[in-house]
Amino acid sequence: MRISTSMMYDMGVSRLTDLQSSLVKTQQQISTGKRVLTPSDDPVAAAAALGVSQAISMNDQYTVNRNNAKSALSQEESNLSSVTTLLQNIKTAVVAAGNAAYDDTQRQDLVTQLRNNYDELLAIANTKDAQGNYLFGGYQNGSAPFVQTASGVSYVGDQGQRLLQVGAARQMAVNDSGSSVFENNVTGNGRFVTAAAAGNTGTGIISAGSVADPSQLNGQTYTLDFSVDATTGAISYTYTDSSVVPLTPSAPQPFVDGQSITIGGTQFAISGTPADGDQFTVTPSTKQSVFDTLDDLITTLSQPGSGSVNQAKLANGLSAASLNIDSALNNVSAVRASVGSRLAELDDLDSAGSDLGIQYTQTLSDLQDIDATEAYSSLTQQQYTLQAAQQSFITISGLTLFNYLDT
Amino acid sequence: MANILSIAQSGLVAAQAGLATTSHNISNQGVTGYSRQQIIQSSVAGQNEGFGFIGNGTNVDTIKRTYDAFLGTQASAVQSTKSQLDSYYAQINQINNMIADTSSGLSPSIQDFFTAVQDLVSDPSGAASRQATLSAAQSLASRFQELDAQLDTMQDGVNQQIQGSVTNINSYAQQIAQLNNSIVKSQSTGQPPNDLLDQRDQLVAELSKESKVTVVEQDGNYNVFIGNGQPLVVGTTTYNLQTVASSSDISRLEVGYTNANGSVVTLPEAMLTGGTLGGLFEFRSQTLDATQNSLGRVAIGLASTFNAQHKLGVDLNGAAGGDFFNVAAPKVTEDAKNTGDAVISASITDVSALTASDYRLSYDGTNYTVTRLSDNTSVYSDTTFPSAAIDGVQFSQTSGTMAAGDKFVIRPTVDGAADFNVLITNTNAIAAAAPIRTTAPTANTGNASISTGTVDSSFTAATVATPVTLTYDATTDTFSGFPAALDVTVTASDGTTATYPAGTAAIPYTAGATIAFGGVQVQISGTPQNGDQFVIASNTNGTGDNRNILALGSLQTAKTLLGGTTDYNGAYSQIVNTIGNKTRELQVNSDAQDKLLTSIQTAQQSESGVNLDEEATNLIRYQQAYQASAKVMQVVSDLFDTLISIAH
Repeated sequence: MRISTSMMYDMGVSRLTDLQSSLVKTQQQISTGKRVLTPSDDPVAAAAALGVSQAISMNDQYTVNRNNAKSALSQEESNLSSVTTLLQNIKTAVVAAGNAAYDDTQRQDLVTQLRNNYDELLAIANTKDAQGNYLFGGYQNGSAPFVQTASGVSYVGDQGQRLLQVGAARQMAVNDSGSSVFENNVTGNGRFVTAAAAGNTGTGIISAGSVADPSQLNGQTYTLDFSVDATTGAISYTYTDSSVVPLTPSAPQPFVDGQSITIGGTQFAISGTPADGDQFTVTPSTKQSVFDTLDDLITTLSQPGSGSVNQAKLANGLSAASLNIDSALNNVSAVRASVGSRLAELDDLDSAGSDLGIQYTQTLSDLQDIDATEAYSSLTQQQYTLQAAQQSFITISGLTLFNYLDT
Repeated sequence: MANILSIAQSGLVAAQAGLATTSHNISNQGVTGYSRQQIIQSSVAGQNEGFGFIGNGTNVDTIKRTYDAFLGTQASAVQSTKSQLDSYYAQINQINNMIADTSSGLSPSIQDFFTAVQDLVSDPSGAASRQATLSAAQSLASRFQELDAQLDTMQDGVNQQIQGSVTNINSYAQQIAQLNNSIVKSQSTGQPPNDLLDQRDQLVAELSKESKVTVVEQDGNYNVFIGNGQPLVVGTTTYNLQTVASSSDISRLEVGYTNANGSVVTLPEAMLTGGTLGGLFEFRSQTLDATQNSLGRVAIGLASTFNAQHKLGVDLNGAAGGDFFNVAAPKVTEDAKNTGDAVISASITDVSALTASDYRLSYDGTNYTVTRLSDNTSVYSDTTFPSAAIDGVQFSQTSGTMAAGDKFVIRPTVDGAADFNVLITNTNAIAAAAPIRTTAPTANTGNASISTGTVDSSFTAATVATPVTLTYDATTDTFSGFPAALDVTVTASDGTTATYPAGTAAIPYTAGATIAFGGVQVQISGTPQNGDQFVIASNTNGTGDNRNILALGSLQTAKTLLGGTTDYNGAYSQIVNTIGNKTRELQVNSDAQDKLLTSIQTAQQSESGVNLDEEATNLIRYQQAYQASAKVMQVVSDLFDTLISIAH
C-alpha cells in the first residue's frame, strides 16, 4: 500500500497524543486517588457515590446529634442526681423528725434545714443549660418553669420533649419536662391516700394502708366518722362513700385499736384512741408536686409537737410526707433510669454508627477510588508504550531516500 | 538530424515538466487536501521514412491529480458525523466536569444545608445555629444560581458558536462559488486546474465539518445543498444562511435560510444535522435544556417541599412560618408569530409529578394541544382549554383568546435554579417550633397519654387560640370538649375513618386513633379514667420546641421528588448519571467515528498523498531522463560537427 509521508507524521502524532492523554489520565487518577474523575468515567458509580456521600454526611451528623444528646442528657442526669441526694437528705430529716424525743426547737432546726433544701431544689428545677435555656421548661425553655406564688411553687412550663435524630430511624428525647420530674409524684401508697382530719382531737394514727382487693378499688372517697359512746366509752365509726348521693353512712362498726379496716378494696389500720367526732379519709391517689410535699412537711413540723394529740398529728403528717418523699424519689429514679438507658442507647448507636461509617467509606472507596497497584502497573505500561512509540517514530521518520541523494 | 534534435528537445521538455511536477509535489506534501500530481506523457506519432516509422519524440499530454471522488464524499460524510459528535462532546464535557465536583457540585451544598438544619434541631432557639442555617441556605441558593449561571453561559456560548458556524458556512459557500467560476473558466482550456480542484474539494471537506452537505457536480460546478435540500451554492451563486432569534425564545439563536427572493426562513433544528452546527443543536435541545430544567426541578422541589413544612411551624416570635425559599414560576413564552391576544400562565401544582421537559400549547382553531417537547408526545388534545394539571403543571388562560395557529412554550422548571432564593432574612423567622402543644395534666388518674400533635396546612392559630380541653367520660367511653365549629375526624390505626359533624358533643374514644379537627392531629392512647383531661393549646413561648425543624431536617431523605421515588440528592444524582452516561456514549461514538475517519483518510492518502521517497525516485528518474535527452543533443551536435568536418 502507498503511504503518504504526511500521513506517517499525522498518524505518529495522533498516536503519541493518544498515549500521552491516557498517561496523563492515569497520572491524574493516581495523584487524586480517584478512579472516577468525572461522571463520564463511570456514570453509575458517580451517581451512586453522591448517594453514599450523603449517607456519610448524615451519619456524621447523627454522631454530632448524639454528642449533643449526650451532653444534654448528662447535664440532666447530673441535676437529677443532685435532686436524688436532696430528697434523700429530706427523707433522713423526716425520719429524724419522727423521733419522739425531739422537742419543738429541734424540729424547728429541721424546718430551717428543710427550707434550705426547698430553695436548693427550686434552684435545680430552674437550672439553665450552657445556652441559657431552662432545662426543665419543656418547650418554654426561655423563662423559669417553676415560679413561687402565694400558694406555693407552680409549674408554668409544658410537657414538651425535644427530640434529636440520633440515628437514621431513631429520634430520641433529650430533655424531660419539669412536670414529669417534679410533679409526677403519686401521693399516698400509690393507689389511695389515708389522712386524719386536721381538727382531730384524739390520738388516732392512720396507717398508709394497702390494696386488699384491686377489683373493688374504684376511685371512691371514703370518710370515717368516729363516735365515742358517752356511757360505755365504746368507740365506733361509720364510713361514708362520698360519691353516693344522698350520703348514706354505713352501720356503726366497733373500733379495735390497730385492727385492720377494709373498705371498698382498701385496707388500713388506725391505732391509738380516736376521740368523738374525729374524722379520717381515704381518697384516691393523685399526683403532687414535690414542692407541695415539702410545703406540707414544713407546715407539719412547724406545729407544736408536745402532747399525745399533737404527737398523733405529727405522726400522721410525717407518715404522709414520708410516703410522698418516697414517691418523689421513685419518680426521679424512674426518670434517671430512663435518662440512663437513653445514654446507654446512645453509646450503642455510636458504635453502630461508626461501623456504618466504616462501611459507607469502604463503599465510597470501592465506587470511586483507584486500585493503586493496578493504576501503577498501568502507568508503567503506558510509559513504556509511549517511549517505544516515540523511539520508533524517530526511527521511521528518519528513513528517507533524500538522505542518500547528497551529491 | 533536426528531427533528432527536436526529439531530444521534447524529451528535455517532458523531463523538465516531470521535474517541475515532482518539485510541486514535494513542496505541497504538507498541504491539507493536496492531491499528488503526475505528468501524463505519450509518444508523438512517427513519420514514415519508407523503411518504417521514426518516432517524433514525446509529448506531455496533461498533468493529472490523483483523486478519488468517492473516497472524498465518504470522508466528508464521516467528517460531518464526527464533527457533530465532537462538538456535542466538547459542550457536554463542560457540564460533565462541573456537576460532580466535590467542591462545585450541588450535592455538598445540600448536605451542608441539612447539616446546619440538624444543628438547629439541637439548639432551636440559639441565635448562632439559626444564623448558621440561614447562611447555609444562602450558600445553597448561590450554588443553585451559580450552576444555572454556568448553564446560561453555555447557552450564550452555543449561540456564539452557531453564529461562528454560520459565518464559516457562508464563507466556504462564497469560496466554493468563486472556485466554481475559476474552474469552469480554466477547464474551457481543456486542461484540469488541479490545484483549484483540490482547494474546492478541501472547502467541501471543511464545510462538512460545520454541517452535513450534499454536493452535486454539474458542468464542472459544485452545487452544494444543506439541510433537506436547500441550495447553498449553485454554480457561481450563493444563498446565505443567517442566525435568527427563535420565535419562541429570543435568547436562543436558530439558523435562517435566505431565499432567492431575499426572504428568511427558519430552518428547523432537526433538519440541520451533522457537523458542528448539528452537534450544537443536539447538545442544546437534548442536554443543555434538559439539564437546566432538571436542575430547576430539584430547586423547585426542594423549595416547595421545604416551604410547605416550614409554613406548618411557628417562628421564635410565635408567628406562623412563611416561605423559606422562593419558588420559581413556570416561564411562558408567547410565539412571536401569534395573532391572538391570549395571555397564558402556568403554575406548579405537584412537584413530584414534574418532568424536565418543556411543553408547547398550540391551538389549531378547533383543538388545544399540549405537546411534551422532550419526547414530542401530545399529552392533551381537546376542543377545550386544558383544565386539569398536566405533569404537575396547571395551565390557565389569564385573558384573551387564542387564534388558530397560536403557540406558547411553557417551561415549568427552567428558572427553578436561577430564581432559587432565601426569602428569610431574620434569624427569628425560622419556624423551628410546632404551633401546638399538648398536655396531659398530672391530675389524670388513668394511664392514657396524648401525642405531641401535628398540624396540616388547613391549621390556623384560631383553632387553638382558646386551649382545647378534651375530657373523658368513662360511662359513655367518649371525649368531649372539641371546638363546636369544627368537624372531628377519627382515623383508627386500621385505617377506618369516622367523621363527626361540627357540634357533636361526645366523640367515641378509640385507643391509638388519630383525632383530627381544624388541621390538628393528635393521638390518644392507653386507658383514660373518668374525668381525665388532655389539653391542646397554642405553643406560646415554645422557644425550646424543635419539632418543626426536626421535620424539616428529615426532608433531606424524604422521597418527595420524581413521583415520590427519590430525595433531593437522588434527583440531582440522576442528572449526574444522565450527563455521565451521555458523555461516555459520545466519547465512545466519537472514538468509533474517529477510527472510521482515520481508515478513510488512510485510503485517501494512500491514493492521493505525496510520498517523498516516491518523489525522490521521480526526481532521479526525470533528472536522468533530462540528462539523457541532453546527451542526445550532444550526440546530435557531435554528428553535426562530424558532418562539418567532412565538408572542410
